[in-house]
Amino acid sequence: MNILLYIAIMIFGAFLGNRRLIPKMLMKKIDTIQFLCLLLLLFIMGVSIGLDEEVIQSFGTIGIQGIIFALSSIVFSIIGVRLIASKVLPKGGEEQ
Amino acid sequence: MSLTILITVALGILSGIFIFPESLGDSMGFWISAGLALLLFFVGIDIGSNRGILGKIRRIGFKVFLVPLMVALGSILGTTLAGILMGMSAVESAAVGAGFGWYSLSAIELSKHSAYLGTLAFVTNISREIIALVSIPFIAKYIGKLEAIAPAGATAMDTVLPVISRSTNAHIAIISFITGVVLSSMVPVLVPLIMLFS
Repeated sequence: MNILLYIAIMIFGAFLGNRRLIPKMLMKKIDTIQFLCLLLLLFIMGVSIGLDEEVIQSFGTIGIQGIIFALSSIVFSIIGVRLIASKVLPKGGEEQ
Repeated sequence: MSLTILITVALGILSGIFIFPESLGDSMGFWISAGLALLLFFVGIDIGSNRGILGKIRRIGFKVFLVPLMVALGSILGTTLAGILMGMSAVESAAVGAGFGWYSLSAIELSKHSAYLGTLAFVTNISREIIALVSIPFIAKYIGKLEAIAPAGATAMDTVLPVISRSTNAHIAIISFITGVVLSSMVPVLVPLIMLFS
């Protein structure tokens, strides 16, 4: 049940952030730390794709088809969200 | 940011193919979960330190569910149209689209019907995740912040969430999480349901 773990960790982080329990020094650097962690995660994800021979082989056979499918669903998803964006974010998406 | 992400993923894939021993494959799942947990902790801090955000989300109300609904419709429409253009069965193409980027589950479900379809679902949905990771910073900047959730699909709640959170703001990160949860819970129902029509 990874999803429950993820939710619990996010709530814990949100609690610390909300109560200002993270030292200011650390808060200033949190963006950089977060980005470095993200890059590390993406690298690991890449490695796990590269290690799986089956994945690499299947990309060779039906890679183009899959990429066209992926692009097409992404484009139509963006159009779909664009259509309702003003209903969900009344101020045109800029709400800080 | 996009270029850094692309290079990092590419370097990972290449070193997975050429450098790391295959025996490492078994422990990758653990490291991905651990890395993800750490990142989601930071996303949590970000959300928590923006006070009043939950009130804003509550004011949006049920309309927030329009986002996963439109992503679901767009994803299925997208693969169905592409499938028809490539001379494939419309129903099978729709089922691949209903994986919403959750490649492991949609691939397992569809390989019950044929190995080809399972592989296609896998390649499609893993490509979707990689394209999402790379394109979201651009989409957030040039198209719109809410639209930046769209490419992620079901992964808007986990692997792609840190990129969305970094490219937009804490408000969008919460909507993204909700979108991912709704889409992920639709995949196991929708994929077999669509295949009933084949």
